[in-house]
Amino acid sequence: MKRLFVDIERCLSCRSCEIACAVEHSSSKDLFSSLQEEPRPRSRTKVERDTKLQTFPLQCRHCEEPYCIDACISGAVFKDSETGLVLLDEDKCVGCWMCVMVCPFGVIRPAKEKKIALRCDLCQDEEIPACVTACPTKALFFGELEDFKKRLSTRRKDVKLKNIWIT
Amino acid sequence: MDYLIIGNCAAGINAVEAIRKKDQKSKITVISDENYPAYCRCLISNYLAGTHQEENLLLREKNFYKDNRMELILNKKVESVKPEDKRIVLSDGKELKYDKLLIATGGSPKFLGVEGEDKYGVFGFRTLNDAKEILKLIPRAKKVLVFGGGLIGLKAGYALKQQGMDVEIIVKSPRVLSQVTDNDSAEMVSRWLMENGIKIRTGLAPKKILGKKEVEGVLLDNEEKMNCQIIIIGKGVRSNMDLVKDSKIQTHWGIITNQYLQTNVENVYAGGDVAETTDLITGEPTINALWTAAAEQGRIAGLNMAGERKKYPGSIAANSIDFFGLPIISLGYVRVKEKGYEEFVRSQPKKYQYKKIVLKGKKLVGAVFVGNIENAGVYLALIRRKVDISGIKDILLEDWFDYSKVSELLEQKEGFRETVSLQGNPIKMA
Repeated sequence: MKRLFVDIERCLSCRSCEIACAVEHSSSKDLFSSLQEEPRPRSRTKVERDTKLQTFPLQCRHCEEPYCIDACISGAVFKDSETGLVLLDEDKCVGCWMCVMVCPFGVIRPAKEKKIALRCDLCQDEEIPACVTACPTKALFFGELEDFKKRLSTRRKDVKLKNIWIT
Repeated sequence: MDYLIIGNCAAGINAVEAIRKKDQKSKITVISDENYPAYCRCLISNYLAGTHQEENLLLREKNFYKDNRMELILNKKVESVKPEDKRIVLSDGKELKYDKLLIATGGSPKFLGVEGEDKYGVFGFRTLNDAKEILKLIPRAKKVLVFGGGLIGLKAGYALKQQGMDVEIIVKSPRVLSQVTDNDSAEMVSRWLMENGIKIRTGLAPKKILGKKEVEGVLLDNEEKMNCQIIIIGKGVRSNMDLVKDSKIQTHWGIITNQYLQTNVENVYAGGDVAETTDLITGEPTINALWTAAAEQGRIAGLNMAGERKKYPGSIAANSIDFFGLPIISLGYVRVKEKGYEEFVRSQPKKYQYKKIVLKGKKLVGAVFVGNIENAGVYLALIRRKVDISGIKDILLEDWFDYSKVSELLEQKEGFRETVSLQGNPIKMA
């Protein structure tokens, strides 16, 4: 099953992924036109900095046992039985923010103006998620776990790797 | 194996799904005293407000019951449970046998116990039928009185305000939401509701409901009379556990469960608003009657009924609401009354922005958010996992606080990775 992985050592905090995500989830899907949209499109992924000021890209983990599904009062959040992704039926979402309340990663964002929760859908319509395509340093990787491991194993051994995995 | 589930809401439905994950063959029967397929109970206020139609309330797809190969018995109340010979008795005298039973009967609204409460126009607010009955009265009603400033009362009032009614909320305590969140945030929400046209009066309770057959008004305990055509009672709920009262199944506030959500009787489980569980923060027995808790309990009870041994970690008070576009989240222990707790607050009352955290020793035990609720879940994770936050205490109130600041603290907690990782198998590299 293809998943999104982060090779954190390559991340330069350029936030290209955030822009690409917002554009992909806009109505025009075009950077310049989307800036005119009301409400402004927002990213579902973010790049933060940890307490040691190291870069820290954050996205939906598509958890194995998602708190957000238990919490959803409108039956809008569901697990896709084929891909295992945790997705939102935006038509059913009522903006109660229960999922925002329970997500341990804080990656579900309340879009108050639209009254729906914004969450990563790994760009269901695209072959490769927009954030991955946009990443200039290839810190984001979309593929099988084994392929990601293979890529990491080609690194110099003395480089200490701190990996984030995305399920 | 025959599984029997009494209750067709959050706990019941999640139990069915959990059982079916482990057991494709056995028979599953669900009994409900309502006449609808499982619906989103929390959305009856959206239905009352007119923003949702009945078909939008379905909790699962239309063919859910067929796909899960189960029998659904509607409109039947379970009179009693006879655990000694594993059967239940329905109100029409019919009996059903089971091998494993889940009691997920939920709760019923508490009423006031005042004279005239039986008049037409006095409603609890718990079921879709309640909402339908209230809707019927709307064309000939103008004024709505809501007694009780809890979530149910406020949500009903909010819905009726959206229907153009004149809504007045009357509470005995000095403020609304006094059981849900702390005083300062409750004050803020109260002000916001009033600014949006909902009237609120405090320190008052009804003495008598006036009218002939239908409600015409109410006499308050200060002898004042008020006219109204609809009265909503939001005085909390009590557990629906009459069905076990003559059995050996133990009850207290609700049906007592152990950490596997089993009752004291083998093969009988309980989940949802009827189940008494352990509070994660206090360690005391409690009923956190919340959708979130009910869903999780149903799922875990279902897995255990199907042969797993999964522990329920305990329930936690956590609520999220949105009135007129202002979000409010309250987590854990926030109404501090005794010593031994530290509170940190950042408040901008005019902007309707509020953030508070409550610490006990090195642990976070509660948090409140009004306005900006982003990352609230990270705080809940810190509370749930009892993380030592003494090292990051200073940044907890900052707007830029997020998961990246506590990832190491959380990820070393037992069970955290398993919850989130790819089949519990995180990548480990040198």
